[in-house]
Amino acid sequence: MSEIHLTIDGVEVVGQSGQTILEVAQSAGVDIPTLCHHPMVSDLGGCRLCLVEVEKMRGFQTACTCPATDGMVVHTETPKLFETRSLVLQLLFYERNHYCMYCPTSGDCELQDLAYRHNLDHWLFERPAENKDVDASRKYFVMDHNRCVLCRRCIRACDEIVANHTLQMAYRGSHSVISADLGLPFGDSSCVSCGTCLQVCPTGALIDRRSVYGGHREQVDRTVTTCMQCSVGCQIEVVSAHRRLLRVEGVWEAEPTHGLLCVDGRFAPLYDEQRERVTGPRVRRDGKLVDATWDEALDVAASGLKLGDVVALATGANTNEALGGLKSLMDRLSGKVGCLGATLPCLDGVTAGAVTDVPEADLVIVAGVDPLETNRVLGYLAKRAKDHGARIVVVCDGENTMAKFADVNLNSGQASQTTELVAQAEKPVVLYGAGLSSEVAANLRGLSKAKFLGLEPGANGRGMAELGIAPVKLNGAKAQLWLLGEEEVRSTCLPAKHGAFTVAVASYQSSALDEVDVLLPAPIWAERSGHITNLEGKTMALNGAVAMPKGVRDETDVLADLASRL
Amino acid sequence: MAKIKLATTWLEACAGCHMSFLDIDERIVELLNHVELTSSPITDLKHPPESGVDVGIITGGIGNVDELEEVKMMRERCKILIALGDCAVTGGVCTMRNPWDKEDVLRCGYVETASTVDGTRPGSEDLPELTDTVKAIDQVVPVDLYLFGCPPNADRIWYVLSELIAGRMPKVEGEALRYGMDE
Repeated sequence: MSEIHLTIDGVEVVGQSGQTILEVAQSAGVDIPTLCHHPMVSDLGGCRLCLVEVEKMRGFQTACTCPATDGMVVHTETPKLFETRSLVLQLLFYERNHYCMYCPTSGDCELQDLAYRHNLDHWLFERPAENKDVDASRKYFVMDHNRCVLCRRCIRACDEIVANHTLQMAYRGSHSVISADLGLPFGDSSCVSCGTCLQVCPTGALIDRRSVYGGHREQVDRTVTTCMQCSVGCQIEVVSAHRRLLRVEGVWEAEPTHGLLCVDGRFAPLYDEQRERVTGPRVRRDGKLVDATWDEALDVAASGLKLGDVVALATGANTNEALGGLKSLMDRLSGKVGCLGATLPCLDGVTAGAVTDVPEADLVIVAGVDPLETNRVLGYLAKRAKDHGARIVVVCDGENTMAKFADVNLNSGQASQTTELVAQAEKPVVLYGAGLSSEVAANLRGLSKAKFLGLEPGANGRGMAELGIAPVKLNGAKAQLWLLGEEEVRSTCLPAKHGAFTVAVASYQSSALDEVDVLLPAPIWAERSGHITNLEGKTMALNGAVAMPKGVRDETDVLADLASRL
Repeated sequence: MAKIKLATTWLEACAGCHMSFLDIDERIVELLNHVELTSSPITDLKHPPESGVDVGIITGGIGNVDELEEVKMMRERCKILIALGDCAVTGGVCTMRNPWDKEDVLRCGYVETASTVDGTRPGSEDLPELTDTVKAIDQVVPVDLYLFGCPPNADRIWYVLSELIAGRMPKVEGEALRYGMDE
């Protein structure tokens, strides 16, 4: 790469060879209008909004695809360009239904912004009369073909970011529509509802059902936090208005996944959460759990836990701060801290990898885990690697969603074949999980060339492991403290009480909580502040997007309060 | 200086644009210092005088034969014709019926809706016939100035009126240009 010098609108600017005119202009602060361009996908020069004039070149050039070269003299705002872009916009408004007054995206629309910028104060052409379909077959978001400008951002996002290849163009000319799997309703297609297309759509063609009419960009609050639905630690932006959660968006600029999310992170917590919240402290009186004040409940909890021989059990849905608080509380009580749920097998001596290694890999070995189910984004990244020529190897004895994308499917007995495959690869990555058998683990340990990512089962499983919180034996404990967070813990997973005094801190009601002596409410993902440690071992910040409901307190604060009462 | 003669009319629309016009509040006193409101839906006289006016404001689109006549009359009698509001500028929400045959639309609206019992299509010679499609004003007669908005807010309406009073043709761009309810 070498430095190049251009003149854009009379100003000398510096770029790098290999950059497009648009990239050089943007880094120099020159705002060229764009519509089909999106920074996260490749450019195709389709919409003709980024047209520029380049001296000594015939006609107009699309800035998003035209390579910048040394000595280029570029004009971005001539009257001729303004007129041409205005005509392009007139044609776009003419082609479909772009009546803003009944569009849910009005106020958040890139087409509208461009029309304002080009002073489109009326329309030149006959209004469209043809009605296109509205596809509402998907649970979380709707496709209105009438609002579509055919920019193909969704197609490129599905191909290049998610590697799911569901979308393509169908028909021709003005009949063109975005199509799923060559004409299936979106809900019956191979779409995985990750919502990446929804986030890149510049108009009201893709509409989130929940947040529709919930407020446009000037009326909403945005909070960047970490997704708590699995251990990848995707950075999310929680969009809320008047303390109501509207939607979740990926953060393009942020590692580890640069905006890529999955259905579990983007939609499920907002659409599918049916459980009842624990809304205030409760204590057992005369055999029944009854409402209590925090003071009463914490005093009862403290006196019960003081009985000695205490065991605390935490899930991966807790922050590092809360887990630290739990540990110091148990130190004071000379109790033990253990974890609930599965843990990763220890693979000593292997080289730790990063999430960003996965799409760059030329060999991805999946063992003891089904990433497309448990940590979906890693599955998408592995598929992205496959699109670039990587081979996928699945080592599994049962069903695995990844198997149909695999080049090589092995059972545990064949795991030794991975040694040869890794030897042939340059950038091998291993994704392993809690289901890893000791036989396969022994084989994987020998793959010294590979980078390893352990897919922790709990969102903060790594944080727990780093604090030394591991499964414990509970035999005969007189008192128990459960720090559950939002995790669904079946009563069969919890220890038999044997008359032990039990305190539970939980976000949601469940049958497991019926027998406890003290029940304390906890915040949920969008309300939490603190940190977790993602599966790479990186510390990720949680920032509360909405206030906790009245009566709920953060666990860290609750544990400190409890400690002060001992 | 003689007062500027202003006529307004309201075609196929919801009345919101005229409500927004009245939302100029106390500025209406200032307006009437400079303007003679010859006719409007909110005054006794509904049509501009044959002798003509300086400025005509049309809100609403064209959806029946009466409105078609009204638009032609406004154009003949107004020196400057303003299409005010999304319906006048583009046909607006009323154009939702355009993809269907008007007979189907009437049957759907008056007979087939789920909440209708023994519905009949209203028929009277006093009721104007629907046009085949709803049109914007400039699809029938030339328009001199457009003001998008559903409705345009009072400040933007006042901007247009005060510029005209000052003898300037308003420039509807920047903050003055807003579509739909994006105020």
